Formats: sequence, structure tokens, C-alpha cells
Amino acid sequence: MPRYDVVVVGGGFAGMSAALAARKQGASICIVTKQHPLRSHSSGTQSGINAGLRGTDAWQSHGLDTVKAGAYLSNQDVVESICQEAAVRVIALEHMGVPFDRNADGRIDQIKFPASSEARTCYCSDATGHNILQTLYEQVLRMQIPVHHDCSAVSLIMLDDGSCQGVFARSLKDGSLTAYASGAVVLAAGGMGRMYRENTASTSSTADGIAMAYRAGAALRDMEMVQFAPTALAPNGILITAAARGEGATLVGSKDSQVDSSGASDVVSQAVADSLATGSVYLDFKNVAPGRLPETRALMKDLAGIDISKDPVPVRPVMHRPIGGIKTDGYGSTGVAGLYAAGECANSGLNGANRLGGNSLLESILVGQRAGESAAGHAGSVGPGPDLASHLANEERRVAAIAGRENSSDSAGVIRRELASLMQDNVGIYRDGKALKAAAEKLTELKSRCEAAGVQGPATAYSTEIGSIIELGNMLDVAEVIVASALAREESRGSHARTDFPNRDDKNWLKHTVARGSGDGVELAYEPVTVTKWHPEGSS
Amino acid sequence: MQVNLNVRRYDPLSNGDGSRQTYSVEVESQSTVLDALIQVRDEQDPTLSFRGSCRTGFCGDCTMRVNGKAKWACRLPVSKAQVDGEISLDPPRLVKEVKDLIYDQEEFLFDKYAATKPWIEPSPPTPAEEHIVSQEKIKELQEASSCTLCGMCDEGCTVLVIDKTFLGPAALTRAFKPVADPRDKVIERRLSELSEKRGMWDCVHCFEATEHCPKGIDPTDRILSLRDEAIKRGIGTPRVVRHNDSFAKSIKSSGWLDEARLAIESEGLTNIGGLMHLVPTAAKAMAHRKAPLPYLHKKRPGSKHIKRIFETWEKGSK
Repeated sequence: MPRYDVVVVGGGFAGMSAALAARKQGASICIVTKQHPLRSHSSGTQSGINAGLRGTDAWQSHGLDTVKAGAYLSNQDVVESICQEAAVRVIALEHMGVPFDRNADGRIDQIKFPASSEARTCYCSDATGHNILQTLYEQVLRMQIPVHHDCSAVSLIMLDDGSCQGVFARSLKDGSLTAYASGAVVLAAGGMGRMYRENTASTSSTADGIAMAYRAGAALRDMEMVQFAPTALAPNGILITAAARGEGATLVGSKDSQVDSSGASDVVSQAVADSLATGSVYLDFKNVAPGRLPETRALMKDLAGIDISKDPVPVRPVMHRPIGGIKTDGYGSTGVAGLYAAGECANSGLNGANRLGGNSLLESILVGQRAGESAAGHAGSVGPGPDLASHLANEERRVAAIAGRENSSDSAGVIRRELASLMQDNVGIYRDGKALKAAAEKLTELKSRCEAAGVQGPATAYSTEIGSIIELGNMLDVAEVIVASALAREESRGSHARTDFPNRDDKNWLKHTVARGSGDGVELAYEPVTVTKWHPEGSS
Repeated sequence: MQVNLNVRRYDPLSNGDGSRQTYSVEVESQSTVLDALIQVRDEQDPTLSFRGSCRTGFCGDCTMRVNGKAKWACRLPVSKAQVDGEISLDPPRLVKEVKDLIYDQEEFLFDKYAATKPWIEPSPPTPAEEHIVSQEKIKELQEASSCTLCGMCDEGCTVLVIDKTFLGPAALTRAFKPVADPRDKVIERRLSELSEKRGMWDCVHCFEATEHCPKGIDPTDRILSLRDEAIKRGIGTPRVVRHNDSFAKSIKSSGWLDEARLAIESEGLTNIGGLMHLVPTAAKAMAHRKAPLPYLHKKRPGSKHIKRIFETWEKGSK
């Protein structure tokens, strides 16, 4: 049974950043990931990465923009520390080989993203994520970090003292289960977009990390905050990057009415949704300089048959990424001994109720790195682990029980499609109490069906049946938390828009939702928001 | 719309019997081939295995043969892929099949990519400022690194058909990026490693890779650029340099290639061992009347114009 100082789950921005940082601390590590790092969801993030590069005060406006876009639900101590460190991280990426676009002086160029007060977003054409991901992977090769890909983490190894000492992971290659024992675990397992019918996520975004942490006793924070991207290609929901609006593309409603394109994604998504009630909405690229956005041009040509230099593109908002996630501080600590989290599965406190465009890459890479350092530090204080043979045997029995179910009338795929429609229709951009209550009831039904869903074929190599059932279970658990959190928050803030409570209510709701699992379901509590220097507009 | 997916089924347990299965599925008109596959797996057959991650053409995971030709399933609308109401799907050529449309990417792509040591050494540990690099150079680097390692160029490669150990156009294209990167400090070491057996010199520039690349990166041109860079720095075997010189000399003087002379001069006129090595092949070729005599080589019509092109170029490059 292998034992490491640190096991990192996930091979995207956050996972590889964590692994590189832990390795630099001298920790023995490995990456366990469902797919090869180069295939991770991070590859498709086209937009860019924010950093106040010029001037010692540049981070301040970045901080304020972040807090404003987050509707004052960000923890400002975290905002300050991340915005201050952003420039160092971007420069370090450049030295690893990321080919950031340059200005006339040969220095890193920056563009002004929607809802940003300054040109602050560094980019590699409109394939920033792809370029950063490739570069991080090159460094993973350089540091000779073992990567176990095609290997899905299914649960955390929790000891009786409540500490986390590794993960159980199931190999897609042969269906076998391995205990990756470790002094600490970093969860960087991505988001949960596949629980929505229309989403911008990769096929791997099935809430695995969030669900594993939740079941192990970690808290989830602000799960009602689900971000929608305003400009996805209608009808098939392929994302058109926020960089398009940064480059000058504008939204046009029916009868040529302008839709404000300059705001944060929550505001613009709601505006697009409102305009769609009376007609189509288009993204018009005529103000975008020729030669810019080459990837977007090719994508629209292939999938919509549209030449964007000539014609506008019909768009609609689709689910983009969770804002909520595993509750951590700005350094990836979850509060569970030995468990750290970063990236889309985590909520570091940076994004509040809505994320500023260009902060996602920054948060994943920077908090990922810090989580790796924290985990390596913690692992140094952990003694040799206990014998895990009986833990492994129990987990093997649990997974084998799924393989043994004989039920061909219901499948994970069918149930996932029902879940996706439910979330789309009842827990979308706009929600209300009635729809959320109905969603909660339907989720109970879907959960019991998932527990009975069987497999049809043999569990041979690369059979994805058992994996799909486990993933569906993860999404259902997390959906339940999203619905409960959304039902309880009786106000509208950021990406949480309640038609029955349309106003922001700082008096009662300037606080974080914190959810934990209990025997009876979801247990909600509330925690104050950390305010340091940026006080909510309207209060002192 | 209704579509029939005719899919290669490969079951590792039964060792693959070449069976196929046709799924008839009602998809939205804008669905991609990947969307259709996901729908089949969800609604009809959970045992169907395939890869596909980002759904937008950035991750390179969903390469498969659609109606015989390698494509990304995620970037191809079903409406464009249908031939007589049917879409046939197979894994790429040259790969080790694993299950259905899933193949071994490790052996086919990732191991070779890693073997090129594609990273640059970041230094110093905490740099204060970025490197000053021209935007023109950045564009070149971005173009090379837009490769997703999808393997489509390797799928088309004519050398890999006969030698699976060849690094292949995908790995060599990615290897080009650090060589072109002014921030890299070990270019000469890279080029000599890439010059080793099964490396850049094994490419036969058939341009199939360029034909196959979905990003328009032109892998063949990257490999030729690697060679240019190596020759410029005197890296690569002397044999390669002699080969190039002889090739150019022959074309310049006669307008076409003196193949026998090329073989001799590539080995080197004083390389007795190398020349002896040619004898059996030459004898066999002569027996079949396939061996032209070296240096008794007629000029082709209009060769003086070709000579002039050379002279103009030589003047310009001085």
C-alpha cells in the first residue's frame, strides 16, 4: 500500500500548483486524477488571470473590484492577501514558460475585463488556460511527480481521531481500489457543472471533491452561489469567453436594444435572461479587432457555422461554475486535520457571492500553491500511519456492492439527465421558494433511485458504469446542499437571485451559509463575513 | 434529428472480435458527435466507453475516426458528420485499443511527449520581473503550444506506421516550443537529444501531419525548423550535414537530384566503412537496373534558372 506525505486529488490548475509547491517543500507526493492533467477542465478556460502588476498599490483596486463583484460576501482578509500576492504568481508563471501576450515594450500586456476598473487581466490570446495548463504540466514532468490518471478518488481515508490520511481511488484501467495513504490530502477535484443541463463544464465536473469532503465532515460554504456565464452559444451552451466582452464585443437584444455588457457575470447573466423573455440576444463582435480571439472565431465557425467578423452570435446564459465549495481559509485549510482544498471545489472566501472575471485562474493557482505548502507542512508533523487494510476491505465491499446490483430498469445516465433538468429549471439564475422546495422533494426521490441503480455490463477495464453511479451520488449530495442553502437565504445577492426576495438585505444576510452533513440531511449555520476596509455600499 | 451511430465495440475480455454496434438516437439539431455519444451512453447503453472532456476543442481527449477520418468528436456537429444517415466511429489507427473507442494514450502520446523533456528551467526562484519578449515571438510560441496533444498528426504519420518508436509529429511539435523560446537556456542540449535515433531526423516530411492537424500548427514545418536550428548550431550527425550539402549541390548544378551521388557523399568520401555498407544495396539496385551512375548525371532542361535561384538566395542570405 503506497504512502506519501501528500496526495493531491485532481490535475488541473489547483492540483498541479499544489503538487509543485508540496514537492518544492521536499514532500513525497503523487497526483491522483480521474483524467490525465492535460485533459482537465482547466484546459478550456480561455479568459485570463488577474494581477495588479504595475505599482505597489495596484492590488488595492483589484481587491475592491473583487469585493464589489462578490456583492460584499467576500472575506476581505483573503481578498487582500490574494490580490497582494497575485503579481508574484503571474511573474513566476511567466518564468516557467507561459507565453503571456506582450505590449509594445515586450512586457506582459493586460486587458480590462468586464467589472474591472482597470486593465488587469493577463492573457495568452484567448487560450490562457490551455497555455498555463501545458506549462504547469511541463513542470510536473520536470519535478518527476508521479501522476496516477484514469484513477477516480471515491472517498477520503478518515481515522478515528477525525484526521484525513489519504484517499481511496478506483482505477478505471481495471476497476481495482487502491488506498493512497498520506499525511495530508489536497482536494483539487474541480466543480460540479454536470448537474445542470446547460453548462460550460467538462464531462469530469461531477462534484466529486465537494461530496467527499462533505461526507467526511468538512463544511461547505455559500453553496447557493452558482455562477452563470452570460454569453454561451445558443442553443448548445458552449461558452464564449468573458474575454470577448473585454475585447469589445457587445450584447444586443431584440429590436437592437443594448444589453449592458460591462458588468460582472451575475448582473449581465440576469440582464440577458430578462431580455430573452422578449426575444433573442446576440453577442456582436464588430468592435473586436481582426486577429483577436482566434480560438473563439474557430469555435463559432465549427459549432455554429457563424463567421463572427460578419455576424453576431445568438447567446444565452448557462451554468458556469460553483462559487460555493469546501470551506477553506486563504491557505486551503478546511478545518479537518490533514485535509486541504483549492480550485473550483473549494470556497476560499475570495469570490463572495459572485466571481470577478479573471480571478478564477488566479485563485486556483495561488490557493492551490498555498494548499500544497500547508499540506506539506502538516504532513511533516504526522507520524507513520496506521494499518489501513481493514479500511480498504470495507471500502472494497462498498464499491463491490454497487457492481452487484441487479437493476436494468434505471441507470445513472437517465437519473443524471433528470437531475440536470431539475437543477436547470428550479435552481437556475432565478429561484423562488416554491421551486426550491419542489427541487428538494424531487432530489429525495432521485437519491433513492440512485442507490438502487444497477450496472448492466461486466466491470471490465474502462467500463464507466460504476464510476457513473458514484459520480451521480456525489452530484445528488451536493445538489441537496445547494438547494437547502438557496432555500434558506431569503434575499437576492450576487449570483443568488430569489424572485420572492428580490432585494439584497445586508441587515439580515451579510453572512456566510455554512452547511454540514448530519444524519437527518443538511445542517445549516451562519458565519460572519470578514470586513477589513471595504464596507458595503449603503452602510458605514 | 435522427442519427445512427455505427460504433466499433472492443471488449478486452473477449480480446476484440471486430464487432460493431449501431445505435439509433434522436438528438438536438446542434448536437456534436460527442453529445450524441453521451446521450447514447446515458439513455441506451451504459457499457459504451469513449473519451471526451472539455467539449470545446482544448483538451484533445476525444480524437476518434469519424467515417474513417480522425476528428475531434466535440467539434463536429452531427449534421455535418452524417453520411447516408449514418456516422461510423472508430479509434485512431496505430493505437493500442483498450475498450470501444478508448485507446492507450500513454504509449501513443504522453510517454513520447515526456521523453522530449519539454519544460524550461525557471530561474531564479522568485523573479521580480517578467522577461522582455516581443509580441511577435510570443505569437510563435502560442501557435506551437496551441497543440493539444490530440494525436491526430500521429494518426496520419507515415513513419509511425513502420516504426512505432519514432517520437512522432505530436511530441516533436511540442518539443519545438522550448527550442523557439528565448527564455530557454539549454537549447543545444535539447537539439542534440532530439537528434538521437527515432528523433527529428526520422521524419520523412510527407506532410501528412500538417494535413491532419486540426489547429493548423503545421507539425512538419516545426520538425523542419528543429532541423534548421540544429544545422545552424552544428548539431546533428555530420552525415546529416553532408546529406544536406550534397542534396543542395546536386540540385544547384543539375536542377535535379543525383541520387547515387547523394548516397555516396552522405556517407562521406573518406568513410570507407560507410561506403562499403552501400555496396550490397547498390549491387542489388544495379541488378534491377534501378541504380543510376553517380556524377554521370544529365542536367535537366532549364537548370540554369534553378541555379540562378540558388545564387540569388545565397547572395540574399549573406
